[in-house]
Amino acid sequence: MVTKYLISILVISVSGSLAQSCQNPQVEAASFTSLDATIVTQIAYITEFSLKCDNPLPENYALYAEVDGKSLTAARVGDNKYQVSWTEEPSRARSGVHEIHILDEEGFASLRRARRSDPAATVSPLLAIQLQHPGSYSGPWVNSEVLATAISILVAYVALRNKSKILA
Amino acid sequence: MSGKVNKAFTKEEELLLQDFSRNVSTKSSALFYGNAFIVSAIPIWLFWRVHALEVSSSLAWFALVTTASTWFLALAYRNTKFHLKHRVAVRREDAVAREMARKLADDKKMSRKEKDERILWKKNEVADYEATTYSIFYNNALFLTIVILSSFYLLRTFTPTVNYIVSLTTASGLLALLSTGSK
Repeated sequence: MVTKYLISILVISVSGSLAQSCQNPQVEAASFTSLDATIVTQIAYITEFSLKCDNPLPENYALYAEVDGKSLTAARVGDNKYQVSWTEEPSRARSGVHEIHILDEEGFASLRRARRSDPAATVSPLLAIQLQHPGSYSGPWVNSEVLATAISILVAYVALRNKSKILA
Repeated sequence: MSGKVNKAFTKEEELLLQDFSRNVSTKSSALFYGNAFIVSAIPIWLFWRVHALEVSSSLAWFALVTTASTWFLALAYRNTKFHLKHRVAVRREDAVAREMARKLADDKKMSRKEKDERILWKKNEVADYEATTYSIFYNNALFLTIVILSSFYLLRTFTPTVNYIVSLTTASGLLALLSTGSK
């Protein structure tokens, strides 16, 4: 199931000296996450966004993403259109909002530099996309055969108890 | 067979013998066999839809197992009813006698003997009805529990056909066997 919605955009002011970087970025994003974990082995997260800047961008403008400490490369899927996707084990896939930090080449390089000395370091991203994962369905809490067994044992117990009461 | 057939039983004695015998009336027998058939046929759905048993190739097994299971269950119903009937009669005796006495109190024309007979007849009817219905409930409950337990847990690694045959014959056979005990 694809959930399409506009995502709140966090626009970070970027220093004007960087002529190559995107000025006043505006982003429109749609996202998808796997909701049924009973038929898949990995939960997929995909977000696709189009980026608009005030200044014209070079053809091969590369973007990088950082999610929960993982570094990813954003795939360019069209004119100013990018896609970020990753997978996770269903047991580790938490529900709720996943913040995707989008960085340009400069930002990604400075993040890597900062990570060398401090693994928990962060840099301000070019923009941030919020991906909402409502949680995935991994089967019913109680299997129907367990429920059927429990009910039938209860009824059989009542029957046995009453019989011994009658015969007592 | 010895040639001496005692024909000296009176009608009352025959009625009394019938009340205490294991034989059941045609109506009761039809109820038992009808119920046993329905309960024996229900697991077909379970094995068809849940255990993915191929229906067309198992029709012969369905017929055979359902027939055997119906026969075993009807036997279990009959035996359980026989054990229960006397205990139910003892438990309901006072209440039935009181109710019948109240009902027949206004009828002055009826002799005491006839009143006693009516009470005895009513008592027998109540005990028969309660024992029949309880016997059906008791055996159905145990049968379905054993079928569920064996098909889902004990025999889950076997093929559905083996699972079906063994589950149903074990469940109905066990109930028939247990019903022959005195307790």
